[in-house]
Amino acid sequence: MRNFITRRVLQLIPLFVGISFITFWLLTLQGDPFHQLLLNPHIKAEDVARLMHQWNWDKPFLVRYFYWVKEFVTSTFAPSRGNGWGFSILAPGQTARALILQKIPITLTLGISSLIFAFVIALPIGIYSAIRQYSIGDYIGTFFAFFGMSMPAFWFGLMLLLLFGLKLGWLPIGGMHTDLLTVSGSQVDFYAAPWIMQFADRAKHLILPVVVLSLMDVGSWMRYIRSSMLEVIRQDYIRTARAKGATERTILFKHALRNAMTPLITLIGLSLPTLLAGAMITEQVFSLDGMGRLTIQAVLGNDIFVGMAIVMMDAILVMSGSLLADILYAVVDPRIRYS
Amino acid sequence: MADEMNKNATMPEPMNDEFLQTTTTQSASMWSAVFRRLHRNKMAIVGLVIVILVVLMAVLAKPLSMGNDPYYMLNVNEAPVEIGRPELMPPMRSHPLGTDELARDAWSRLLYGARVSLFIGIVASFLCIVIGTVVGVISGYFGGWVDILAMRFTDMMLCIPSLVLMVILSAILKGGVFQLILVIVTFGWMSSARLVRGQVLSLKEQEYVESARAIGASGWRIMFSHLLPNTMAPIIVSFSMSISGTIIHEASLSFLGLGIPQPIPSWGNMLTNSQNYMFSAPWLIWWPGLAIFVTVLGFNFLGDGLRDALDPRLKL
Repeated sequence: MRNFITRRVLQLIPLFVGISFITFWLLTLQGDPFHQLLLNPHIKAEDVARLMHQWNWDKPFLVRYFYWVKEFVTSTFAPSRGNGWGFSILAPGQTARALILQKIPITLTLGISSLIFAFVIALPIGIYSAIRQYSIGDYIGTFFAFFGMSMPAFWFGLMLLLLFGLKLGWLPIGGMHTDLLTVSGSQVDFYAAPWIMQFADRAKHLILPVVVLSLMDVGSWMRYIRSSMLEVIRQDYIRTARAKGATERTILFKHALRNAMTPLITLIGLSLPTLLAGAMITEQVFSLDGMGRLTIQAVLGNDIFVGMAIVMMDAILVMSGSLLADILYAVVDPRIRYS
Repeated sequence: MADEMNKNATMPEPMNDEFLQTTTTQSASMWSAVFRRLHRNKMAIVGLVIVILVVLMAVLAKPLSMGNDPYYMLNVNEAPVEIGRPELMPPMRSHPLGTDELARDAWSRLLYGARVSLFIGIVASFLCIVIGTVVGVISGYFGGWVDILAMRFTDMMLCIPSLVLMVILSAILKGGVFQLILVIVTFGWMSSARLVRGQVLSLKEQEYVESARAIGASGWRIMFSHLLPNTMAPIIVSFSMSISGTIIHEASLSFLGLGIPQPIPSWGNMLTNSQNYMFSAPWLIWWPGLAIFVTVLGFNFLGDGLRDALDPRLKL
């Protein structure tokens, strides 16, 4: 097992090099980020020249790339000696890391809530669909699954905003929280309000984004749980359990569900990084100021160091997600052994 | 990246004998059996009907648009007196879905948009499947360092956060139908490569491959006339599923401002424009979104039905 993990971690190195090289190359194809700095009347030309020299931008492409890798690695493993993954061009004076750290809580809140939401919705419906195959409930569940998989997320988000935000006025139409909360008749700043009200206000703001972001996962997980359960309940050991007189409840949760859950681990591991892609759209629809929006701004504004840092963080998330899934797979299923 | 695991997780089980027999000896009856099974599946039929209707919409765009030109901007004289302004007109008899912010007929744009969106969906998915199949067959058949190299590259592409890179690439290529197809294909061929490779790995141990080799068939002949036809079932299914994915991608990229440029109508860019008038002209945002949803639903239904009909044991 340890050998397997070491080998897999070592395999990540060429992947890291490949991905960062392609992204770096594509981002520089977009144009020279330092030229954009020159357009700013508040920045002197010699300052730009100094910055260019400091970041080795006056050297050939491969040298620049090499220095970027060096900077990324030192900033990651020895933050005190690095320069915070480079500086931001769109937000002068900020490092890429500071920007990301500032935005990531919003995206994490959104992402984790929607993973939990997707799981809580998909699991019971998926199990029900499998044990009552071809019942009315199964057909309704299947329809919902296809609904989720086929719905363009941002359109659905806009429609929900129109309905619940504007027509009915039940939910806020954007942002993470209200600035002023009404506590016993008087207006209080959000951060001064009791935590329970802060929590309720945040939850109210999160409902629509979470529903939209988890929509796709709910659909495909439901289908996966259903088919995986269907396969397991036809196995011999389920018949054996039934024959020895175990209750349906024990059979379902102790024998069937445990075995049906293993493919789901892979699925969750692989869907971790898609949350960022989803966040790019969801945050745009609900005007939340998180990583998704930062990504689009950085990539379109040619903010090369911020863009690189985000892409690399996401790539590392993909790689560690699938590594984690493989390891958990072996932990849960003793039949799988890695040599 | 996960060879050890993929053998357990993503590689479909070897096909059962009955299925193999129908594919290798009686291909005509295989297709009629597939059609029979498809016919019994109500969901698949619904999907097929939706797909046919959408294709008809695209093909018959001209006669169906009732003489309206999707590019023509109405002028003041053409608007009814009580409305006065030709832009953002609500639905009426001559313009069943109203007009957009540039006073163009929304119904004809929806019809012509079907052409663009379907064209991108079908062509991009087809190219993804072709590239993926070639990579997968070669990688699976030759094995060894060819396989390692091809699969490492595939893994690398899979690890790239594709939507972010799609945004970068489309910003560099500056919009257009073919540029968009290129962007989608660049980041979309990997899953079919893995799928086909898995199939080929299990198929190449079969006796018929050995006998083909014994009578002196070349590697290419074995790959493309013996192995490829037997991987057709999952390829067709993933083609159908991939079309729906591509249509959603087109819409998402348009939403981020990087899809098909104006004035070409596509469902994605119709949505993007109409969201600015979501409150003053809500009829504009309804139909393109609904069209995307229904079309994607149709392709998903059809793909799911095809999977059950082609090989009930296949897991995709």
